[in-house]
Amino acid sequence: MTALKKKILVVEDSKLVHKMYELMLRPHEIVHCYDGHEALQNLGDHPDTELILLDLNMPRMSGLEFLSHIKADPVFSQIPVVIVSTEGKEEDTQRGLEAGAAAYITKPFQREDIVEVITRLTRNP
Amino acid sequence: MTGRRSPTVVLTKPPAGNDRSDASTPKVAAALGQLRSLLAEAQQLAEVVQTVVGSRRPPAAAVVRADAARIEELEHMLEATLKDQQELTTQLVDAENLAGKLMSLYVATYQLHVSLDPGEVQTAIAEIAKDLLGASSFVLLIKDDVEGGCEVALSQSVDERSRFAGGHYQGGDDMVDATLADGILRLEAEISTEALAAVPLRVEEAIVGALVILRMLDHKATPLSEDRDILDLLAAHAASALFAARVYSKTDRKLRTLQSLVNLIRGT
Repeated sequence: MTALKKKILVVEDSKLVHKMYELMLRPHEIVHCYDGHEALQNLGDHPDTELILLDLNMPRMSGLEFLSHIKADPVFSQIPVVIVSTEGKEEDTQRGLEAGAAAYITKPFQREDIVEVITRLTRNP
Repeated sequence: MTGRRSPTVVLTKPPAGNDRSDASTPKVAAALGQLRSLLAEAQQLAEVVQTVVGSRRPPAAAVVRADAARIEELEHMLEATLKDQQELTTQLVDAENLAGKLMSLYVATYQLHVSLDPGEVQTAIAEIAKDLLGASSFVLLIKDDVEGGCEVALSQSVDERSRFAGGHYQGGDDMVDATLADGILRLEAEISTEALAAVPLRVEEAIVGALVILRMLDHKATPLSEDRDILDLLAAHAASALFAARVYSKTDRKLRTLQSLVNLIRGT
């Protein structure tokens, strides 16, 4: 990946939101996963993932469950995770950040919200 | 040389009656000649000084004036550039907002028409309502020509005491009934309603149902009226996408049944 092009893993059950990310996040490379379980399997094939966009409410494995798995894994625990969810209460945000998320964005979101967070979290030191 | 009076030296000639050129004393004549030549020299020097002084002062003042004018001109240019920059920033923000809206509209249209599976079209409608509009509770009503009222084709987080709960809506909400009757999109109307918005669903000119938004996500910052474009898109596309999918699904089912019969008759 180049400095401008990052590999981003999207874990989200809504096809509409996947399509939004595809348009919004050009020229980044996106790996699409539709639940936490599939994301865990895919992460092994994409160890160069630089950021994860994570929904909370998904079938099979929820976002928080997925987050606890990768935070316990020494290989992937350093990848910044951004929760993007319709759950917008204060306690939801708190729970997500305490679980290890680097940022929390509520839906519906604007392109600049996502782009700004990605730029901030993937900036090279 | 701008209106400045030049210092001149005027050599006065002696009156004619007093001409002493024929004076008997040649010394006086010589002295007078010497004096005249000195005066002529002085006059020349004065002219030189006049030229030098005259040529320097006015340009210096002109340069100062020109510099002041240039500074003023540059200040105007800077002011204009700053104004342009501000305007361009506003235009950029507007363009980005517009691009975001167009992106949402494109994605919504794409998702509505990407599949001919009625279940997927309904999911797309639900995702548009939830993820693009920020609705937390809504129902999709499709007119039921057989039993009257509307079939509740899709519902999300509807209170069980609501008249929209269950599989059928018999009418009773003034705003929704009005939209089902005249096909006009209504937002937070003052008439009696438990809905925030009633979006008519049209197939060509016929009103075939409505998307009724009952509640929004608490954290949604902008009012529903700002999402008018997406609501209009739903009104125009959701029903046709859903009906096309239903017709295709029904036709496909019939085709498979007929194919099975043909296979049975042929004994394959």
